Amino acid sequence: MSGIELTDIRKSYPGGPEVLHGVSLDMRAGEFIVIVGPSGCGKSTLLRLIAGLEKCDQGDIRIGGKRVNDVAPQDRDIAMIFQNYALYPHMNVRQNIAFGLELRGVAKAERNARAEEVARTLKLEPYLDRKPGALSGGQRQRVAMGRAMARNSSIFLMDEPLSNLDNALRVAMRSEIKELHRQLGATVVYVTHDQSEALSLADRIAVLKDGDLLQFDTPGAIYDRPANRFVAGFLGMLPTNFLPIEALPFWPGKTGLTVGMRPEHMKVHTSSPQAAAIPARVVFSEMTGANLVLHCESDVGRLIVTAPRQDMAGGEETVWIGYDTDQAIYFDAQSESRVDMA
Amino acid sequence: MKPDSRLLAGLALIVGLLFLSPVLYSVFMSFQTVDGYYTGNFEFTLENYELAIGQYNFARYLLNSIVVSGSVTVIALTVSTMAAFAFARFRFPGGNLLFAAVVATLMIPSHISLIPNYLTLARVGLLDTYAGLILPAISNGFAAFFLRQYIRGIPVALDEAAYMDGATPLKVLWRVIVPIARPAIFSMGLFIFITEWNNYIWPLVAVGDEDLYTLQIGLARLYRVNPSEDVVNWPLVMAASTITILPVLLGFIFVERHLVRGITMGAVK
Repeated sequence: MSGIELTDIRKSYPGGPEVLHGVSLDMRAGEFIVIVGPSGCGKSTLLRLIAGLEKCDQGDIRIGGKRVNDVAPQDRDIAMIFQNYALYPHMNVRQNIAFGLELRGVAKAERNARAEEVARTLKLEPYLDRKPGALSGGQRQRVAMGRAMARNSSIFLMDEPLSNLDNALRVAMRSEIKELHRQLGATVVYVTHDQSEALSLADRIAVLKDGDLLQFDTPGAIYDRPANRFVAGFLGMLPTNFLPIEALPFWPGKTGLTVGMRPEHMKVHTSSPQAAAIPARVVFSEMTGANLVLHCESDVGRLIVTAPRQDMAGGEETVWIGYDTDQAIYFDAQSESRVDMA
Repeated sequence: MKPDSRLLAGLALIVGLLFLSPVLYSVFMSFQTVDGYYTGNFEFTLENYELAIGQYNFARYLLNSIVVSGSVTVIALTVSTMAAFAFARFRFPGGNLLFAAVVATLMIPSHISLIPNYLTLARVGLLDTYAGLILPAISNGFAAFFLRQYIRGIPVALDEAAYMDGATPLKVLWRVIVPIARPAIFSMGLFIFITEWNNYIWPLVAVGDEDLYTLQIGLARLYRVNPSEDVVNWPLVMAASTITILPVLLGFIFVERHLVRGITMGAVK
């Protein structure tokens, strides 16, 4: 097992702006690291730098303590799963999985046995003699994963491997990836723009924005104590409500802060409660199963909240929104960094 | 089959036969005696083929044409494929300029290079050799350009996946790019082979030794073979022509199987 250490990584493309502005990350051996961020934040570039498919302009990349900046991709002993799978179209599933072993001079019988073992794990056995063109999206994704697994690498890089799958398959594959990580014990660096994937898979999450590392911590810490307003808004099932503290009835007299209120911490009342609450008008609602997501207009601004469906059975148009102030996350109104309140 | 598609098939057959008629006629003529040809009485004979191969050395010319065209095709394809891969995938100083120079060679008429090539080969003593027939044709700007465009259409992610699997650039070319680009490479190979097979001027200039003549030179010489004064032995010419076109036809049938399209299907996404 090898850890990955990135120190002050900078990267720009010819004729373009700098895409990574000095990113440093210390990934421990065996960890499942998820790099998350919006499109164009530099997360795939960072992965390609670790893979050796790109060269960084500045900084050090160390794998297992050894500097690999000038080591070719084929000599880094890293397995990678590409977003578009990149399966060799002229080879069948068995050959695709065993190709890496073949290049390393493993005997045919041994590599075929390994390919079959991997195929068994990934439930690909019936398709071993098929070419990628004759497989479904989910099966291709498994072949891509099998190709990476066959070599027993100590590091796996995954570049949005589930983004081309439908939702049900994505959720199923997510748990399979987690299970595989548990079995293999390898270091995994997983790039995604899907925050739910990040929260559910990661041991630690690195949040990138515009080439800067905003936060690198456990999913729980990032959810509970986001470094700034962007991180708070990016990670969470529903968009966080950001409102100026002076406009809210819960903190009389306070000024200069923005409050981040997650919808799941807000309580919807159908009649005016005794405690402080924000009166609001329901503009529209979305059904998500047991709950409704309510999009409301209020005097303090637009609010997104959730409520159990049975509470809203009467099709209420006016609601009162209460809030558990212990759950609030405070940000400096100017710098947008989190502020800890005693 | 619908009536209109039957009509279409019939029409296609007629047009196909029209295109094929000169070839069929020449094959038919090649089995006729020269007297029969001029008097209009068909008499079947194999004498023209016996003459062409036995007396006029066409077996040797056929061998020469196969060696020269085959070698040019294999070497030119190898050189062009490697150049195309480099131009399509690697950024290196002067790369664009070099590619522009390769493309610029397409604008130079082949006859312009005839004398410089002759002088160069004369200086190194390669006239009247197989090498002298083969070497000037192995650098093929059009093939490099055509294959480069094809390779650019192959997703780079496949190269990257192979690098991650442990491949060197040469392995990527040989194990990933070449199998995927096979339809283009075979098409280009067929094109190079036919061009070289039909090449008349260069073998005429570069070779004086009759044992190194190619089919085209041998064929042209048959026009001067008269059974009597001022009469061309057309059945003999047609027998020699049939010997000339037959290998190309067989080659096409062999290569056609490999011109499979859509091989990249399922590679990405």
